[in-house]
Amino acid sequence: MTSIGTGYDLANSIFSPDGRNFQVEYAVKAVENGGTSIGIRCKDGVVLAVEKLVTSKLLKPNANKRIATVDRHLGVVYSGMIPDGRHFIERARDEARAWRDTFKTPIATADLASRMGGYMQAYTLYQSVRPFGITAIVGGFDSAAETPVDGEVGNGPACGAGGKVAGKTHGGPFLYMIEPSGLYWGYYGAATGKGRQAAKAELEKLDLGGPGGPALTMEEAVKEAARILYVAHDDDKEFELEMTWISGADGPTKGAHHEVPKALREEAERLAKQAQEEKMEE
Amino acid sequence: MFRNNYDNDSVTFSPQGRIFQVEYAAEAVKQGSVVVGIASKTHVVLVAIKRNAEELSSYQKKLFPIDEHVAIAIAGLTSDARVLSNFMKQQCLGHRLTFGRSMPVRTLVEIIGSKAQINTQHYGKRPYGVGLLVAGVDDHGPHLFEFQPSGMTEEMVAFAIGARSQMARTYLEKNIDKFADCDREELIRHGLRALKESLVQDRELTIDNTSVGVSGVVKAEDGSSKVEPFQVYDQQDVTAWIESVADDKEGGAGTGETEAEGMEVDS
Repeated sequence: MTSIGTGYDLANSIFSPDGRNFQVEYAVKAVENGGTSIGIRCKDGVVLAVEKLVTSKLLKPNANKRIATVDRHLGVVYSGMIPDGRHFIERARDEARAWRDTFKTPIATADLASRMGGYMQAYTLYQSVRPFGITAIVGGFDSAAETPVDGEVGNGPACGAGGKVAGKTHGGPFLYMIEPSGLYWGYYGAATGKGRQAAKAELEKLDLGGPGGPALTMEEAVKEAARILYVAHDDDKEFELEMTWISGADGPTKGAHHEVPKALREEAERLAKQAQEEKMEE
Repeated sequence: MFRNNYDNDSVTFSPQGRIFQVEYAAEAVKQGSVVVGIASKTHVVLVAIKRNAEELSSYQKKLFPIDEHVAIAIAGLTSDARVLSNFMKQQCLGHRLTFGRSMPVRTLVEIIGSKAQINTQHYGKRPYGVGLLVAGVDDHGPHLFEFQPSGMTEEMVAFAIGARSQMARTYLEKNIDKFADCDREELIRHGLRALKESLVQDRELTIDNTSVGVSGVVKAEDGSSKVEPFQVYDQQDVTAWIESVADDKEGGAGTGETEAEGMEVDS
């Protein structure tokens, strides 16, 4: 790295002569050392998964959860510095609650991504703070049902500003990924952390971004997610697989963010291991 | 001489994405004397080695009760631990006041985790220079958590932090499968044996330098369960336990095993 020794990388919010903020780039390095996280946007919901590296034999198995519920319909997973991730989650929960207080309706996934993108970006602006050492994947299912507002009279205007457009639907599954710079995009399939390259390559093989929308169902996506994390995993190290999902109101989680049932997760892991072994034999 | 420019404060990432100030704070934990914690299905214990500054001085306290059902063991800067301890006591009391019941251990640990994280992200602050083992009992049974200066908190089956704690951890790893079904006394003895592994050559456990703390859930006659409040034992109250692990000689793990098995036959 040619930047080292020039002094432009010693404080946050400092531009180098060629317009880079090195501290943000270094924060990305912290993310790249963390366990792989992925998110998949499916036909009927969103699946989130993370590879948790087992750093000590003395850790209580399956006790330390990494995927958090931010609101009923929102899940967040992250790679990088875990305490930073917990801070991010707390802020996201505050945002979701404040939104409900103000607007009497759950926050849309896109709005949460926007708020949290803004929050992360603010930590790149000042020398008095450092950027977040995480990349977060936000998954959510926005309800398609019309939610009446407290004290609402009638159904609102039928046309015009704020009115209803015939045939237009809203809601559905959404997936966003937010980087330490505050930059965020919507994704069909997202991956971050150490194994992101391999995970991305696998995600690209899935039918997620076709013109008819994603073809994959959540149950298929759970199996793919497990397989992808096994592919992206560095064999020498032991790891735990944590997976959650969010379906619509008519799906298995009834619009809420839940952990994938144990039986399904174990089946997905069994298939993932089998696929790994078959690959080894080739 | 080569100088590290990236280790002056906790708001500067190194080009590898590390924060050296936080890593240095983790070193402060290793300066403290060793503490060990173990959880079984029914109990959780904390045991600690206390240090004295000189022959005639008193010994530094290592176990701090927080609430009826929670206590911490500390390694590192004692003054930082006192701040955290006070804060935890307040949080537990506040929780009792608002919710009318004791605070779940994980909740408490996550609160101090986020408090510590803030110190690693803002200029002018420094990370806490102390590591904690937080032991407690709640509706889900006994729990043991490790807290690090980075704000990282993890639930453990058993753990040791502080000077030479790697030796204790090795003992714990070797015996990890036994802990779940240990009774109160067996768990304490495992703790003390782990502690002994970390002692320097000519030192041994004495009633002056050893602290033991226990909490648990006790099944009552009618099948309901009651919390055994956290109790810290010092001085003559730890004599029997120290004597009970005194006879396992060098390579204690081996003898410890046979003795533990003997115990199981007895009961």
